[in-house]
Amino acid sequence: MTTLSHAPTSTRPVPNPKRSLITRLNMGTGIIVGAIFCWGTYYAMRAGRDMTDTHNVNKVLLSSMLMWSFGFLVGIGALIGPFRWLIGKDLTAEEQLYLAGDGQGIKRYFKYCTDHKVVGIQYLVGVMTMLGVGGTMAMMIRTNLATPGSHLVTPNVYNSLVGLHGITMIIAMIIVATGPFGNYIMPIMIGARDMAFPRLNALSWWVLFTAIPVLCSAWFLGGIPTGWTAYAPLSDQAGPGMNAFLATIIIFALSTAVAGMNITTTVIAMRAKGMKWNRVPIFVVGATISVALAIPAFPTFMLAMIQTGMDRTIATGFYDANVGGSGWLYANLFWIMGHPEVYVILIPGVAALMEIAPVFVRKPLFSYNAAIAGFAGIAGLSVLVWAHHMYMSGWMPSLNGPFMITTEFISVPTGLLFLVLVGTLWRGRPWMKLPMLSVYAFLWNFLIGGVTGVYLSDVPADNYLHGSMFVTAHFHYTLMGAAFTGAMAGLVYWFPKMTGRMLNERAGYIAFWLIQIGFNVLFLGMFMAGAQGQPRRVADYAFVYEHSNMISTAGAYTVGIGMITLLWAVVHSWRNGKIAPMNPWGAKTLEWTVPYPVPLENFDVEPIITSDPYGYGKAAN
Amino acid sequence: MSTDTEFHIHHDSAEKVGRRERLGVRLLIVADGSFVFGMIFSWFYLRNLNENNAWLPKGVHTFTTASGYTAAIGLIIAALAHRAGEMNHGLRRVSSIVVFLALLVGAVYQWHQMAHMPFIAHDDNGRPFYNGAYASNWVLVAGANMFHYLLGAFVALGLVIRGYRTKLDPVLEEWRQRTAGSWFTWIAISGILCAIAASFK
Repeated sequence: MTTLSHAPTSTRPVPNPKRSLITRLNMGTGIIVGAIFCWGTYYAMRAGRDMTDTHNVNKVLLSSMLMWSFGFLVGIGALIGPFRWLIGKDLTAEEQLYLAGDGQGIKRYFKYCTDHKVVGIQYLVGVMTMLGVGGTMAMMIRTNLATPGSHLVTPNVYNSLVGLHGITMIIAMIIVATGPFGNYIMPIMIGARDMAFPRLNALSWWVLFTAIPVLCSAWFLGGIPTGWTAYAPLSDQAGPGMNAFLATIIIFALSTAVAGMNITTTVIAMRAKGMKWNRVPIFVVGATISVALAIPAFPTFMLAMIQTGMDRTIATGFYDANVGGSGWLYANLFWIMGHPEVYVILIPGVAALMEIAPVFVRKPLFSYNAAIAGFAGIAGLSVLVWAHHMYMSGWMPSLNGPFMITTEFISVPTGLLFLVLVGTLWRGRPWMKLPMLSVYAFLWNFLIGGVTGVYLSDVPADNYLHGSMFVTAHFHYTLMGAAFTGAMAGLVYWFPKMTGRMLNERAGYIAFWLIQIGFNVLFLGMFMAGAQGQPRRVADYAFVYEHSNMISTAGAYTVGIGMITLLWAVVHSWRNGKIAPMNPWGAKTLEWTVPYPVPLENFDVEPIITSDPYGYGKAAN
Repeated sequence: MSTDTEFHIHHDSAEKVGRRERLGVRLLIVADGSFVFGMIFSWFYLRNLNENNAWLPKGVHTFTTASGYTAAIGLIIAALAHRAGEMNHGLRRVSSIVVFLALLVGAVYQWHQMAHMPFIAHDDNGRPFYNGAYASNWVLVAGANMFHYLLGAFVALGLVIRGYRTKLDPVLEEWRQRTAGSWFTWIAISGILCAIAASFK
């Protein structure tokens, strides 16, 4: 794909950081300053307030949580750049190189490091941690549901488990591909030296990091009894743990906006010479469409959370019918974000698989333009379908028909994605390595997820299936079966470039099969329970659903063992795996032209792109 | 607004960096725009729904129709002053000071307006609450205006200070003026849109 120009290499100065403030700040100072801001706010606001008033309690807690986040950013040095800009004394070259982590070894992962590769690894570890925590909660949920009347946890704890599992996994899945690979790999794929806004890149990660302890604090504040959708007016009335949910979403939305803006700008403005739009790797296109969709979508979620927070702290009435509010307002704002969010999660995973398939079939990607049309069509239609989540809410029944049509129409661009993948595989001779298996797993899982989605988009069928385990199984097939499978393939595929080592193949195969078989057992069982009528989000159930729940729980444990195997494979391979060659898969995209460890600015000479990235089997390449 | 003017780690020209920064800010404006349109949607949705006739309960005082516009005046003056500075470079230092002062005074006025809202009622225990969905929406719109004022004032103060620095790259600073202009224009439009919405009682 690439020839290298004779442009001169960088002439950057050697970093010689003085022992200034910027060199002393790290995650530790961030935590200390964040804790001081948090507790300082807590005690200052408590003083003189009537803490028997729930509005005051919410006010103090919500403010303390947000101040923790702000304090952390002060403590880690995130605000030095804006402050220096304000006073007209921009960061010097040495300071910028220091922030980029030049020569700092492992310490840079605990600092406000602007190198996109460091941020990518930070996201990867963060995502794996979130998946571990969310997955543990899933195992607790499934254990409780293994038999009717098990009472492993109380109904309130069960509600909190469901809510915290939901929001933890949603956040993890939103960043599972665009976080690690969008930051580490994508700039290299387009021939850029870094992201467009390196400091904002670090900011997006560390802002997100501050949301993790906030969300965990919900557990100690009585949990979140509303599920991850936080429907009003339940969320208005919920206990103090709800504040943690609100603060988490507000912080996360800020992180997403910054990350989305940064990735989009990088791809639009920083592609290598010769990389026309029809030469951009499909993963980059998918990730960009995904984050560009998130930019307008997530602020409405943030708005809904701010309105809920205002209801809870200063006694407004957005969602209180007594003072003119309406739960439907919340449902609209939430789902205007909520449905695009599904595709924000899905598209990068599918795009990763489209990136992988040509490499292992040694054929060009079938109909690159159809793939882009599919992504763009899904993104465009995704903002016109939100009310299918509200068929049964009683909101505007006259709009059910139009929303049913737009929802069913979305299967057309989705079909294009299938067409592209199947067309790429058609008459190919697949090299059946681990990433390639995920392509087949995706086709199976997403077919089930997609077809069951058509049932749910249908108003009469939804009348029966709404609120049942059928819905839960459907969206898990879409998010886990499709998006997570794509992200897992991406992890295996790019692992050599990110760590310099090959993933342990045997452990990887075992993990893959355990996860995929367990997943299908788990959620096919859940489809059965849902079709029989078992409601979701309920801690106990009638004996009639016993067998399907037992099957699901057995599947869940299989997935759990698979995930632990995968974690072991990642950790073990990272430390002791076989040293990876520069291009172990023989791929043609730019990231495989740079060595490991990838140099600070990625390329010694600026790459010039002369052909498309999927020219397998063409003599010119 | 986040890169150095003396040295850039990507080794790109000031022109490229400037364009990139403007694109980034415009994308953030899209995000902020989505938030503002969400607020306006909330306003008209709850107004037209008028749940329990509590959009404006009987006896609740309201702001005048002009109040929304007066709250936005600082934003509008800032945008116009910045535009004047862009068109006439001789006026730039003065205009950037005017922009900053307009936003600062506007923020103080917005704060005053928020502190004296006429629709705060008290429940049986003497605890205050916002009486009616109109009141709830007003305080949200005022809060968003306040956010725009404060962020705008930060940017404006930076431009004032940087206008007196001599070691900065003039090309990149010129781009930053244009980029800031996009932001000032947007927050003025946002203020006007919110004022139009707020005029529907």
